[in-house]
Formats: sequence, C-alpha cells, structure tokens
Amino acid sequence: MAETAEIKFKLDDRQLTVRPGTLVIEAAREQGIEVPSFCYYQGLALQAACRMCLVEVEKAPKLQTACTLVAVNGMVVRTNTPQVHEARKSMLEFLLANHPLDCPVCDKGGECELQDMTFRYGADRSRFVEEKLHVPEVKWSNIVYYDAPRCILCFRCVRVCDEGMDVKALGVGQRGANSVIIPNRDGYLECVECGMCIDICPVGALTSGTYRYHTRPWEMQYVPTVCAHCSNGCKTTLSVRNHEIIRANNRDLSGYNGDFLCAKGRFAFDFTRHPERLNQPLIRLGGKLDTASWEEALQAVASRLAAIRKQNGPEAIGFYGSNRTTNEENYLLGRIARASIGTNNVDHHRTADYAGLMQLAADLAGSSSGHGGSTAGGSGGIFATMRDLESAPAILLIGNDATEQNPLVAWQIRTAIRNHRSRLYILDSREQKLNSKAQASVLFARGEEAAAIGKLAPSGTANLAETDLDRRLHPFRDALAAENDVVVLFGAAIQGAALARLSDFARERVAAGKRTRFIALGDYANSRGAADMGLLPEWLPGYAPIANPAAREAFGKIWGATLPEKPGLDSRAMLDATAAGQLKALYVVGANPAKKTNFVGSKRMGKLDLLVVQDLYLSETARLADIVLPALSAFEKNGTMTNTAGEVQLVRQGGDFMGARSDFDILRILSHQLAQQRVGQPIPLRTPDAAFEEIARTVPGYAVSWAGLLSGTAEPIQPNFAATNGHRPAESAAGVIFSNNDSLFTSGSLTPYCRMIRSLREAGVTP
Amino acid sequence: MEIPPVLEEKFQALLQRYPVKRSALVPMALYAQDVFGFVSDELILEIAKRLGLSSLHVNETLAYYSMIRRKPAGKYHVQVCTNVSCMLRGGNEVFDFVQKKLEIGNKQTTADGMFSLEEVECIGACTGAPAMQVNYDFYENLTGQRTDDLLDALDKSSRPARSVPTSGSVHERHPAEVSVISRLFGVPDSHKLDVYLQRDGYKGLERALKEFTPEQVIEEVKKSNLRGRGGAGFPTGVKWSFVPKESAKPKYILCNADESEPGTCKDRPLMEMVPHQLMEGMVIAGRAVGAHHGYIYIRGEYRYVLEIVDAAIEEAYSRGYLGKNIMGSGFDFDLATHTGAGAYECGEESALMESLEGKRGYPRIRPPFPAVVGLYGSPTVINNVETLSAIPAILHRGSEWYSGLGSPKNGGTRLFCISGHVNRPGIYELPMGFNLKRMIEEVAGGIPGGRKLKAVIPGGSSCPLLNAEEIDLPMDFDSLAKAGSMLGSGGLVVIDESTCMVDVARRIMHFYAHESCGWCIPCREGTDWLRKMLDRFHSGGGRREDIALIGELSKNMLGRTFCPLGDAAALPTISIVKKWPHEFEEHLAGKCPYQPAELLTPALG
Repeated sequence: MAETAEIKFKLDDRQLTVRPGTLVIEAAREQGIEVPSFCYYQGLALQAACRMCLVEVEKAPKLQTACTLVAVNGMVVRTNTPQVHEARKSMLEFLLANHPLDCPVCDKGGECELQDMTFRYGADRSRFVEEKLHVPEVKWSNIVYYDAPRCILCFRCVRVCDEGMDVKALGVGQRGANSVIIPNRDGYLECVECGMCIDICPVGALTSGTYRYHTRPWEMQYVPTVCAHCSNGCKTTLSVRNHEIIRANNRDLSGYNGDFLCAKGRFAFDFTRHPERLNQPLIRLGGKLDTASWEEALQAVASRLAAIRKQNGPEAIGFYGSNRTTNEENYLLGRIARASIGTNNVDHHRTADYAGLMQLAADLAGSSSGHGGSTAGGSGGIFATMRDLESAPAILLIGNDATEQNPLVAWQIRTAIRNHRSRLYILDSREQKLNSKAQASVLFARGEEAAAIGKLAPSGTANLAETDLDRRLHPFRDALAAENDVVVLFGAAIQGAALARLSDFARERVAAGKRTRFIALGDYANSRGAADMGLLPEWLPGYAPIANPAAREAFGKIWGATLPEKPGLDSRAMLDATAAGQLKALYVVGANPAKKTNFVGSKRMGKLDLLVVQDLYLSETARLADIVLPALSAFEKNGTMTNTAGEVQLVRQGGDFMGARSDFDILRILSHQLAQQRVGQPIPLRTPDAAFEEIARTVPGYAVSWAGLLSGTAEPIQPNFAATNGHRPAESAAGVIFSNNDSLFTSGSLTPYCRMIRSLREAGVTP
Repeated sequence: MEIPPVLEEKFQALLQRYPVKRSALVPMALYAQDVFGFVSDELILEIAKRLGLSSLHVNETLAYYSMIRRKPAGKYHVQVCTNVSCMLRGGNEVFDFVQKKLEIGNKQTTADGMFSLEEVECIGACTGAPAMQVNYDFYENLTGQRTDDLLDALDKSSRPARSVPTSGSVHERHPAEVSVISRLFGVPDSHKLDVYLQRDGYKGLERALKEFTPEQVIEEVKKSNLRGRGGAGFPTGVKWSFVPKESAKPKYILCNADESEPGTCKDRPLMEMVPHQLMEGMVIAGRAVGAHHGYIYIRGEYRYVLEIVDAAIEEAYSRGYLGKNIMGSGFDFDLATHTGAGAYECGEESALMESLEGKRGYPRIRPPFPAVVGLYGSPTVINNVETLSAIPAILHRGSEWYSGLGSPKNGGTRLFCISGHVNRPGIYELPMGFNLKRMIEEVAGGIPGGRKLKAVIPGGSSCPLLNAEEIDLPMDFDSLAKAGSMLGSGGLVVIDESTCMVDVARRIMHFYAHESCGWCIPCREGTDWLRKMLDRFHSGGGRREDIALIGELSKNMLGRTFCPLGDAAALPTISIVKKWPHEFEEHLAGKCPYQPAELLTPALG
C-alpha cells in the first residue's frame, strides 16, 4: 500500500499522528482517553445513534460524534470540556428516563455499561416523574430472553447477528420511543442460538436462559480457558461459583476469537453437571458394574494389564486416546503405551489428516517453515493461524462446512470478507451456507476430492478430458491462480491422494512465488494435540516416524525405556484385532469407539479380556467396560491444548466435580501402579506444567513461549520437518480419518449431555 | 396467497420500476392493504417471497410506517387531523364529535365494521382546516354540520364530494401575488399536458436541451438565487454542482414530495394542478447533472395526487416529454412515482432514500452526501416539489428575471400557506422577502373576530415561534434567521390571543414524538419525555420546576440529535417557554385557563 501519508491532529492536549481514515473515537481509545459509546462497536457498522461520543471540534458549530468523525490534518478535538460533559450527562438522563431501574435483580447489574457510564458521567438525581413505558419481558428461545424496557436501542445485537453471524434474525419493530428489537419469527427466534446478541448487549435487555437470575456477577470467579468443544480453540471465560460453572462468555475479548463464541461455546457447559456424570470408579463384578474405590480400581487396572502383558505380550494391549484430553494427558498416554507397556498400538479417532499436512509441509520444506503470519518475516511459512484468517486476502475452503463444523473459522472468514474484502473460494461435495459469500464455489461428487483438487494446479489439467467438473473448475482455478496469498482450509475428506494433489497445487504455487498457507480442520478441542502428541501408531510425538531409530532413542532415553520398533495398530485395526481375539486389552481414554465407529459392534468389544474406560459418563463403550474410571472434563483441569491450526493455549480449571479425577492424575497414578507390577517406570511428572516442560523439550515445534502461554496468548507451534529424517510413514489407512460432521448443535459424544443445546428447537432433537 | 388481478398488475409494475426489487416493498404492502384492508402475516410472507427478502425484513420495514395496518380497519377509515393548524380551527372538536357520533375511540372500529377512527398528524390540508381524510379522500373546512352530513352519507355508502383541489389554493389573486409556479392554479384541466403546453409548458426544458450546455443550466439555476423550498434554503444550483460529472453508477433525480411539515400544504396543489411543471423541472435537473432516472416520492396520504402525477407521467411519455430522445434532443429521462406510507422522517433526504430502497426510514450518516452517494449508492440530486417546479420558469424566462422577483440572495417567489387564525386562509404566491405583517393582515385578511395576534409559526412547526412584536420583517431565509427563526417550508400558522401556548407546545411535541424514528437517544427519549411532561403540565399537573426543565430538556436535544428532527422538536418548544413563560405559570393553578377552540359551526347535539 502506498498509504504513507499521515494525519496529524490535536486531541485534548496531545498532538497525534494517525493513519488516514482513523476515526477519532479509535484514536482516543488508543491513547487511553475514554470516549464513551453504546452503539459504536469495533468491527460493526457505524450508527452514530447513541450520541454518547459527542466531542468538541474547533470551528464546528455543533458537537460531533467521535465514532463517525474521521481525523483530518490540523483538526483540534476536545473530549474533556464542560459542553461535552453536559452532553454525556444529558444523554444518560434521556436513557434513564424510560429505563427500568431494576438493577438489583437485573442480570447485568454490576457489569452493566449503562450503570458504569451513569456512575462516571451521569447525574446524581432523576428529574423524570412521568410514567415509564412498560412491556413484559418475552422469551424468544430457551436461550434468548428480551426485556424491551431495558433496551437502549444501540442496535449492537441486530448488527452482530447480521454482519457478524450472517444470520439476520433480529430487527427493529415499531418506531420512535416504542421501538423494540424483534425476532425473525412471530414472537420467537429461529437462528443459530449463538448468544452473540446476549453478550454484546450493553445492558440487561437480552439475557440468557442458562444464566438469568442465577447469581450476581460479583459472586463468581472468572477463569479464562479454552472451549471444550470444537477444534477452533476459542478463548472462553468461565464464570464459576462454588466450583460450578454458571456461565461462559468471552467479554474480556481475550484470544483470537474476540467476542465470538458459538452456541456450544456459550451454553454447552452444562454437560459438567449432568445427572449421569460418573463420580465413582466402577468395576465389573459378576457381569455388573459396581462402585469401587479409586485405589481398588487403579490397582485392578494395573494388575490386569500386567497379567495380560505377561501372558500375551505388549502387542495384545491397545490404547485408544481422546480428542478432548490435554496435550499433557495425551503425552502421558502415549508414554504409558510405548514406554511402560511397550506397544505402538495407540491411536485415537482422527478427524483431520494432520500427519499428512506435516508430510505436505516436509515436501515443501525447500521453502522455509513455520507460522508465516505470526512470526517476523516468515512469508515462506506454510501454516496459517486463526488470527491470520481474519485478514487473509484469499481463502480456499475444501471439503468442510465451516459454518456448522468450525464456527470460529466461519466467523473469521466472514470478518475477512466484511472488513478486508477478502475473497472466498469453496470446493466441496456439499452445498453450504458460506457459498453465498464466496467469490466462487464448485461442487464435486463425494469421492472426487483428489480429482477435483488435482485440477486446481495449472499443470494438473493439461491432459484431462473436458468434463463438466472441468468446465466448472476452469474459472475457479484461474481465479485462484491470480491470488497471490491464499490460505487453504481443508476437512477430513482431504487425506491420502487428495492431500497429495493439494501438495502438488501448493508446490506449483510456491514455485511461482505465490504465498500458500494451510489449516487442516479437525473436529474437537484437542484433535490436533492428540496427533501432535503422538497418539498415532506410526508416529512419535511431533510426527517423528516410529521407524526412525534416532527418534525412538531420544524419547526412549527420556522415558527410561527401549521403545518398540514395530508400528502399531491403528484405531480401526485395533478394533478388528479385538474382534479377531488378538487384542486382549483395550484402554480407552475419553472416547466412545463402540458408538462412534460403525465397524465394531459391542459383541466384538466383548471379546476383550480387559476393557478400561476413562470417561465422564457411562458411554456406550463404558457400559461394556470391565473397569470405568470417572474423569474430569476439559473445563475442570489444567494443561494445554492445541487448536486445529497448531496454536497452543492454556487450559485452566474452572469447575470441579467431586469424585472424578483428571486424566492426567489417573494416568500418572497408573504409571506408578504399573511400576509396582514391574511394568515400566513411574512417570515422575507431577503436574501438567511439568509435563508441558518436558513436551517443550522433546516434541519438535512445542518449544513455544511459556510467557506467552501464561499471559493467554495462542502460541503457534513451529514444527520441525527434519523429524521425519527421510522416513516416510505409510499413508493412513482408509476409514481411519473421518469427521463426525458435527453441527452447531452437536458435540460428538458430549451431545447427549448438553441439555440446553439439545432443548433448542433448532437442534432438531425430538423430545 | 391469492392476489386479485388488479393488484397483481400493480405488483408487476412495481417489480419493474426499480433497479433494486426491494424498493417495491412499501408500495406493494400499501396497495395490498387497500385491497385486503390490512397487512396480514400471509401477505408479509408473500411480499417477502416475491422480493427475495426475509419476512423479518418485510416485517420490520412495514412496522415503521404509520399508514400500514396489521389489523383490519373499517370500510371507511376516518382520519381526523388535530395538528396545530387544524387544532386552532377546531380539529380536536371534530375528533370528539366523530368519536361521539360513531361511539368509538381512537384506533377503534364500529361493531358493524363500517367505520374506524384515527387521530392523525398533519395531512397537508392546513389552509382547509379543520380537515380529515376518509380512506384517501380529503374533506376540508369541516364544521359540525358538515362532519355530521359526511358521516351520514358514508353510512349510506355514498361517496361525498371531496375537497379538491386543495382548499385555499384557488382563490381570487391578491394584488401582491406574483403567479409563477401557481399560474395554472384554478385553470380548468391544468394537469393535462395540452393545457400546460398552452401556458409555456416545457419551454424551459426545450431551452435547457437545445440552447444550454448542462453546465450552463446549472449556472442559470445558480444565478437565479433559487434556494431549496423544502425548508433548509440551500442554493439549488450549488447543490446540483456537487454531483460528479463522471460516475460509473447511474445518477438519480429525486423529488421530495413527502410534504408533511405541519402547516405546509403547497406541494399538494402543485402536483395535483401542475404536475407537468414539476416533471419538467426534474427532466431539466437530469439534463443539468447527467441523470437519466428520476423518482417522485409522494407521501402515502396523497394517493389521489399520486394518481394524477402517474397519469401526467404517462401522458408525457406518450408525447415524448419523457423517455427516450426527449424533444428530439437525444436526451433520455425516465420518471416514476413512489408512494410513502406515513412517516414524516422520510422527508429528511437521506431517510427518504432509505425508504425508497425499501427499508425503515432512518437517516444516513453524512458524509458521504447524496450528491455523491445517494439513492442506491449513486450520485443523487434531491429537491423539494416547489423547488423543482420553479426550474422551468427560470430556464424559460431567465435567471435574471427570476432572481429579480425576490430579495437579495433569495430569488423568486414562494408559496406561502397561511393557516390558523386568519380570515382568508390560503396558499399565496408572493415574492421572497414579502413582509410578514402584511401577509397576515392584508393578504390573508387579518385575524377573525377582531382578536389580537399572539404568535406566528413562520415556516412549519419546526421553526421558533415569533410573537406579535416580531412580525414586521421580510419573509426570506436570511431575515428569518436573523430574527432567530427560520423561513422553513413556507407554512405560516397564525395564532391569536385566544390560544393557549402551552397547548400549542404540547401539540407540536406530540407530533415530533409520534414522528421520531427512534434511531438516536436524545430525539427518541427527549420528544417522548417532553410530550408526557407537556401533557401533564397542560392539564394542570405541572410543577414550577417543570418550566425550566422543559426548556432544558429541549436544549439537551438541540444540536445533538442524529438528524434535524430533534432540533425541529426543540426549537419551537424553547421559543414558547422563552416568549410565553407567564402562560406556563398560569397553568400552575391546576388547570388550563384557556377555552378549547370553537368548532366553526357549533357542534350538533
């Protein structure tokens, strides 16, 4: 950009230099000068409706709204004059005229922008003696309630629903003093129930079904952590009272998601207090699961694992990890499998081909590596971050319905299009909502992934006959070719051959000097972390192939064991081996393979000598188990998780649940119990922090800034492709990587326990 | 849903009329309401479907317009105006009379479904006050007897003769009058093209097309000192010159015919009697700025006027004064009408554009200004009916002649609507700068019953009021500004000594509270609060501190609202509190010391 010009103007007693086009309200806020506003909201359309931000401008006859005032050279603006104070005071007086002063019972009391502004700028008495307008509060959905008299008509909710969410479910009814916000259906809402409108409301006009009348803001503790649901890793702040999570939001705007959260992020924390939550270990006795003490249960697990290992060898034992446990827990599980037991039979439900992406990166390793967007000068980096997305000039979305499956990714895409005029290209086998925002979109048939992607690279089309797909892809390919900077997002279906074609596409672009960055889109909160931590039969943490003796040796040295060389069984093969009677013990952590894999029935699972399950509930798999260990959820533990773009964030304990233990504790204790049975070494890592320090040392790419993590930043990992060291592992077998295709209202195996979400009309659950 | 063929035809025409389909939203709903009696949920879905909009968008848009009904009304919807001009001449009494006779209250319908009643804001019949509309028919100069007869006739389902043309527009010319734009008032069939052509019709356009370059046309208009007749008085030629010459988007000429400033009823006769004059002015404007499309946004209440204009447009197309290659010049211009649906705020230029784009009539943030980013984001000229109606004469007879008719910097003549307490209420075309005192005393025949003058609203109800001592001044934009008021829209309301000024303030605030769009806090809350307070105060419930509070709250709105509506509500109120404080004091005794206005003929029974 040739915008080298600068604008110099005076704001109060300061001489400021700003970029052309800067709004005075922004310039002021950057300086720490408060210019109050209700309707102005960064990133949303300007309104100039609340008139709170009126400022004095020299030579202007009237006060001007700072939210629409663009700084120009020589302008003199004053925010701190009697006239300005008088104006603010009068606006608040007008607002309070019809505002019901029911602050003592209003959910917003204590964290209300109107209260705060009245405290700071308002009058100390009311001059209003007329009768206030009153209309009763209405329930628009199980989640959204609207109290019209409290509404100050700042239209933030209408804008965030329209511009931010592209849902357009809110409008304005009536006129003048009778104006109200109205929902899109006759008296009720039909929308994605994201609750953006509730959190963005500066007053208590919009309140949430989960939080309303539950507590007062000052009675809670606030715990910043990461959402437990999808793989986008939104920062959420849990409001906790007496160890119980009462609310989730992100009003402190921490994290790359700003104030964005979807319905799950805001309202699906209730699974933590579901009545079916397990609070005691269970051991099968006489065909029935019966309660047991932790000591009994863990001793039983260790002794029976030791016995099977002794009798059938380590390869008769398999480990099935989780998409939702922390990096530290995943690391421990892999360590127990490989170092304590001595098997590579360790996998999890893979929801994106992260290993394939690493291979792609390694193939492109001629160019430099790492997170280009977030590291200085890293224009050659091939991984994009979540934040990169919101201003990416062009985005190519392949094989994923981001609106449903990756809500933050979709939000970032919409923001990019709205605020940065970014161009979106979609290649998918399904119609999706984002198509309406796309510059171009091409639909292909399921199974045509590799063929379609193969035609994206200019060289890929040369010898192909002109098919219907070709004809549709030509303009698409040409438009893409003209883009100098593309972020490619791809879903689970892009694996194996399709991913190899994507690699060709990337190679050609990189050769042509065109920036190309990637994000693989997985399903759950730590899908990426499960893969990165090596819950894969052929890869050690950091994607070092198990075949690589140096990598085996390195980890073996730290873990105090000689690691097995033979590649393990993948998730599907383990279950097949179970059916065949070859696998005798299966240890499942936070997963539900009996339900989620369609190729294994409960009968086959019954052939196991030992099935151990760590989970929150008696899932379909847990019901078959011999020993069930009640675990804490992601909202109840400390550690780190890695989002689908490869950014590490801290997870902090919000709630607690009596009787359950964190997977970290369970696994650590298990290692000690196993050691007592002369199986492996006890794991000396006492805390997740200690485990992460080891991860940072041992896992390529994870030596991220601890300072950054502690301060709440998302730290992109810096993978080291040299880890492969020329060892190219086999491609993942077909059927091993697949998405659950969750919607905005489902969250894999947690879905049945998210009662608020399931109660929503839009969730389509028949009661 | 089933749409009758006549309505379907209207729908189809509307769907063709605009470059953006959504623009047809409000007209479609209003025309459908005419057929079905109200706008049903089913109809909303039908319109949404046809326009490719969400039902929410249709719903929220329609909720803005006061003429749109979501419930059935009576076969005869009686709308009684009680705004200031009517109030001064018995509008409230007419309303009470109708209530008693029909035995229904405001917004109620008789049991037999024949009548419904609504108290409405200014309907643009100020010089025929008191007035009402039955459906779209105007009935003016009401008395008790006349109202009684009207309702009886309607009850027998006959349609009594309407008050057309606008009462007060056709009268014996006063010697001081200079008939330029009103020269065809009263001429039989003046709305017809041939009659217009006989009286110098389209000669201005001919010169503009054949003798002048577009730049010269703008220059002529600049030199004429024509200033916007809508109220703000901005020099018209200068406004036109802001339109960029080159534009990738089509440019538009908009006529603001959303006349609704209380006390103002000049655009209505200009359109009903000389529609071609306005249309000619628009084509000239199009020629001047290089626009080829125009819309006339006519307030919804003026349906019969819209039909006259539509017919005139059709006639002009058939004779080559609109459409392709106008008068063989190679210049093309397309013109269509657009109906509003009851919203004073849509008279604000940017709100009008929003409304014309099928949205709630909220004003827009400026800059950008309409000349650059206006209708559909395109460069747009927007002028008042009277302004555009003056253009043909300027082009035909020259800017020098025109400017010479008025006072310095205030070119030409102006239609003054003189209503309220005068012997000859009417619409008079007088030179700019004509003395206000003479206007009242000589032109309008002075105050009836030998009563004394108390106050004058000089240019529509948003202007600060003048008292009897302040009226010896020339009526032009600059002189009025100097006197602390505004020339405004040319709606003079004369108020005599029998009138309660608190009541006037109350009624004015009722209007602005009703018409506040609700966008910004000070106007939305301020007008509503003041309305409540003035109601209480006028009925005797006032406290001493309220007097200062009324003035203060008004000042807190002044200059701080999003659009000028806040000022419009504040300015008259401030002036009344300041100039007639003793009248407020008198109300502290617990009641209003003034009698209500007399119904001109004593009410029956």
